[in-house]
Parts: sequence; structure tokens; C-alpha cells
Amino acid sequence: MSLHQPPPVTDTTSTGECPICKSTRYMNPSLRFLVNPECYHKMCESCVDRIFSHGPAQCPIPGCKRTLRKHRFREQTFDDIKVEREVDIRRRVAKVFNRREEEFESLRDYNDYLNDVEDITFNLINNIDVDETTRRFEAYQKAHEKEIEENAQLAEEEKQPQNQVQLKKRMDRQAAAERQRQLQVASEARTGTAGITIKGLKAKQKAEPEPPVDPFGGFRFVDKYFALQNDHVWEGIQDTKKDIRHTAGGYDIADYTHRSLVAAFSGLGVFIADEFTERTKAAQDDEAVGTARADIGLKDAQMVDAA
Amino acid sequence: MLKSPALDVPPEPPAKRRKTSPEPESDDNTPAPIINSTVKDLAAQLDEAERKKYVKGRKLGSGQYADVFSAHLLSDPKQVFAIKKIKIGPEVKEFGISYDSLREIRFLQELNHPNIIKLHAVFSTKSQNLNLVLEYLPQGDLLRLIQDTKGTTYTPADIKAWMLMLMRAVHFCHVNGILHRDIKPNNLLIAADGSIKLADFGLARAMADPFQPMTYNTITIWYRPPELFFQAQHYGDAVDVWSCGAVFAELIGREVLFRAWPETEINMVRLICEKVGTPTEDNWPGVSKLRGYVTPSEIIPLRPKEQWSASFRAIGEVGVDLLMKTLTLDPRQRLTAEGVLRHPFWTSEPRPSKLRDLPRRGGGKETMGEDLTQRGGELPTANGEGGKKRGDKVAKKLDFGIMTK
Repeated sequence: MSLHQPPPVTDTTSTGECPICKSTRYMNPSLRFLVNPECYHKMCESCVDRIFSHGPAQCPIPGCKRTLRKHRFREQTFDDIKVEREVDIRRRVAKVFNRREEEFESLRDYNDYLNDVEDITFNLINNIDVDETTRRFEAYQKAHEKEIEENAQLAEEEKQPQNQVQLKKRMDRQAAAERQRQLQVASEARTGTAGITIKGLKAKQKAEPEPPVDPFGGFRFVDKYFALQNDHVWEGIQDTKKDIRHTAGGYDIADYTHRSLVAAFSGLGVFIADEFTERTKAAQDDEAVGTARADIGLKDAQMVDAA
Repeated sequence: MLKSPALDVPPEPPAKRRKTSPEPESDDNTPAPIINSTVKDLAAQLDEAERKKYVKGRKLGSGQYADVFSAHLLSDPKQVFAIKKIKIGPEVKEFGISYDSLREIRFLQELNHPNIIKLHAVFSTKSQNLNLVLEYLPQGDLLRLIQDTKGTTYTPADIKAWMLMLMRAVHFCHVNGILHRDIKPNNLLIAADGSIKLADFGLARAMADPFQPMTYNTITIWYRPPELFFQAQHYGDAVDVWSCGAVFAELIGREVLFRAWPETEINMVRLICEKVGTPTEDNWPGVSKLRGYVTPSEIIPLRPKEQWSASFRAIGEVGVDLLMKTLTLDPRQRLTAEGVLRHPFWTSEPRPSKLRDLPRRGGGKETMGEDLTQRGGELPTANGEGGKKRGDKVAKKLDFGIMTK
């Protein structure tokens, strides 16, 4: 389909008469008029059936040489055929230029882009520079096929109620699309041209390779001040090692010795006086509390990343 | 970490003593209002200061044991909390505050971990009941997600992420010498960001010293390990690992693994024998010396790995290996929490899901209300078939506690 045709509108149908078979609404109350976005000439349903049922044919309006297909015929939405055509063009352009605001560096860039799009639309509607505009339009469409499709998908999903399963599927698709696009961008860099260039697009950075999973989530439990022996000999606990009722239930004496050692030595390296001065300082200085909180937040964030 | 506010405040002991004694006329330097009988002692003052920080909101849930309210900070309404108000029954006068709430306060205020529910403050109100200011977890619990077989689907990667968070929390408890003793899906609450938080420390206790007996009548029966059924009084962190294993299997199969009906201990032992194998001296040295051990009439051999794989194929070979090792009969051969975290399952494919990809909405904030009002060790009220138990509507369920007020 091309977008560059003057609408040779001859409005005989306002009276309710088909320009081809001349049947009127008076004769046939169920008369319906259809148009084809190729040339927007109106004709009645029975004419469309008659002329185009056997395949594509020329428009029967004298002077119009366009080849029309039956499946493109539809009822017109707007009374004014010019409006009808403009809406069609806008819809088509919007389908291709479907970039989203978040793709742009700044609002200014986004607005510039919208302005460019409007220029193209205006040219197409008013038949200014039609050949050149259409060429650029199609070149852009071809070059950005993947992105257009992806954005269309996003828009489609935003319309639907948010379902978790869908969301997940979407994320997976996005990830796949991301890989696809990176490949394409790479190939594009080699070939060069892309009809219309859009300024101010955010550079798509490559996702950093994820760090390996840390099952402990960043927590480390290391005994700093003592080392646990295999066997701590103390008569108070010797019997438990042999006591079958202790061992069979899963009671581990090593846990107990370890806990005792922790309790005995965990105070080392802790200086209460220092902590006190720290705390009074923190109390005086709200910002210090803020940063302490931020540190905790940072730690949590790292947890999140690790998960 | 929660610090005692008492450290920051200089003590002022005379105030209280003067209040009770007749006022000496000669004492000039004491201002009159302090002697006034409305003066509260230091503890009450601190308590009031704490209480006034929060604004209590809507009731989220109500149970026999506690009520849960939503609340926010007076100074910053954006910070939302859940307040668990423990009800005082007639037994409080006799025995004092229940053990459950004391345990919960004692352990929660010591534990600070991203996967354990945070206790922000504790205060009491006029009627001397306890209010626990807890982290607000509006997305419900894991049980709802498991039971919602129609509305929620999740992948093995999601299971891995959840289990990893659970195991980190359990491991953290264990390295700090605390046994949780009530791990089950409805004690695993879901935070707004999708992460899992271990809650309900009502049955938790510190690991015992040698010769100090612990109760074997703990942990919700479906998640209770065999050594507790055999009435072992000396056990270790392996009891929690068994519960985790049961939760793991439940996540995969979407049904309770050991679901004895009726829920008697003898049925549970029978079920464990069927599904894992009969405990014998061969696979569990010393088991026959345990007090509650019953010599089995028939011996079912340990379930071979092929059968485990057949039932839990979804999680993969490595996952089944981990599951088997957490559901080992002999607590000494069972993995420890650290051993579980060192298992190759976590680093194998698929990678655990990111938090933002995890399914949420295991019920709403009301679910949190329901979960927190439960006493430890209770079976969830809504179970599988139609969500309701037989007899739920029968007259004995009427809450006569209300009438005594």
C-alpha cells in the first residue's frame, strides 16, 4: 500500500446513490457503502461483491486506475472522507513511530522526535514531498522492525490487566528481544544507513554479566578469635558424647562447644567506650544516622542482587 | 539492632520512692508536680514515649491469641508497620505473659536479617497487654501461593529463590544459636518486594545445653521430624532442616508432603515410613534407644533415589538430591543449614529468580493478620478442600472469650 494519492472525491453518495450501479437507499433500504483506503471511492456492498469477488480489479470510478482488493474494503467511520484518510495515515505512522518516552535522554529529545513524526505525518496527509517521505518512512520501518514490534508488544501488554504470569513472560520476551536487538545494532553499524535518524535516544547499555549466586547472601560467619577443635575435653560434656539419647536425637556437642566459645570471646574487639562516643556523635548528627541507614539499605540491595 | 532505651536516659530513682512516702515539708528543692500521684515511673514513661510514636490503624486480623493492626509512624506516615497486639486472657493473671510472646520478643529483637521479620519496638498499653511493632508484609504468605493452583504458576527458579531465602534465614538463626521450631509455609510471609520473611518465633528457643531437656512436642505436626515423634529430648538444628525439606517438597508438589489424616502422631510416623522409609538401627544408629520408638511391624526400605526423582522431577536431579538430604531420617546424617547452603543446587541452573520476577499476592494484608494471630504449632485453618474444615461453623467455634469482657 502506498500513502501518496490525492483523494479525488466526487461526492455523489451523499444523496444515498451508488455511483456505479445507481441504486438508491430508497430502492434498497439495506444499502451499505464501503470504501477502500487505496483511493477512498465509495461504492455499495453489492457492487464490491460483484466486481471484486473474483480477485483484484480496477476501481470502477472513471479516471481512477487503482487496483483494489475486496478484503480491504470497509465501512467508513467518519462522514468526511478527508478525515477518514487522515486518521488512517496517522494510525499507520503511529504504528511505526511508536517509540516511548523512556527511550529518550530528555523530555526535550522526546518532543523533538514527536515534532519530526508530525512533520512526516503532515507531509503524507497533505501530499508534500510524498515520494521522498514515503521512501524514508519505509526505510525507517525496515531498519527498526524489531524495536517497533517490541514497543507494540509493550503497549499491548500495558492495556491488559497486570497479571504476574504475563509479566514474567513479558520479561522473558524482553530479554530475548534485547539480545536480538543487540545483534541487529551490531549488524546495522556495519551496513550504515537507516532512513530517518532520531536524535537523543538513550544509549542501550549492555547488561552486565551477573555475578555468580552466593548462597550465603553476603553474610560471612567466621570465628575470629578462636578455632574450634575436633574434641574439647571437659568432663562436664564427656558423657554426652557417649549418651545415645543425646546423639540419636541429633544433638551435636560441637554446637554447644562452639556456642560457648562464641559467648566467651565475642566480646573481644568490642570497645564499649568507643561505641558510646560513636552513638552520642550519631545522636547529635542526624546525617550520620542517615548514612548508617543508607549503608544498611545498600547491604539489603546487595542481598537483592545476589538473590 | 534494638537497644534498650534505658541506657540513654539518666536514672531518676527518687521520684517513685517519694511518691509513696508522705511528703516531707522541709524538702524544698523538689518541685511540687513530680510528687503528684499521676507521675509515672521511668519504665512507664519510656513505654509511653514508644507508644506515642505510632498511630494505630485498621484491624487486619483477629484471632484467639492476638489481634493485628496496621499502623504508621506519627512523624512519618509513609512508614507502615503491623502491630501485633497480644490478647490477655485469664491465664495471664496466674502465669504472667505467655511464653510464646516472650520468646518472640526475645529472639526477634536479636535477629536482624533481610529474610527474618523485623521487630521494631515493643510497648504495652493501659490494660497491660503487649504490642509488637513488626515489619509490614502486605503480600500474604507462601501457603496461599502454594494452594492457589489455579491463579498462580511458578517455576523451579522461583522455588529456588524462595528456598534460598528461607535457608539463609534458618542458617542465620542457627549460627546465632536459635532453633525456630515452627517452619511452615504460612509462617513465611511475602514482603512488598517479593522476598520471603520468616515470621512467628513463638516456638523458637535457644539451643540447649547438654543434659538440658527440650520439649519434643513442638513444630506443626506435618512438618515435624521423626526424632521428635520418637520423643527425643536432646536435638539440634536438624529439626528445622527437616521442616525446610518438607516446605521444599510442598513447593514442588503443591501439596503437603506428610499430610496425615487424622493428624495423629502415629499416622505421621506411618506416613514418614511410607514416604521415606522405616527408621531402623541400620539407617539411624541409636534410634531404638529413643523413648518414643516403637518397634515397627514391617520394615519399608529407604526410598531409592529413582522414586524421589519420579515424584519431584520438576526440580531436577540436583534439587532431588538436596531434598533427599534434608529429609534424611537420621538427624546426624541430615544436612545442616550451612550444608544446605553449600549444596551445588543453588549454583546450578536455573539461576534463582530475581525478586521482581517472583509471584506475589499470596493473599493480601489480611493474610498477614491471620498468620500473625495464630499461635505457634497450629495447623492452618484453610486447608485444601474448599478452604474450610468440617465443623468450622459448628457452635463450639463460638468465641466465648468476647462475652467475658
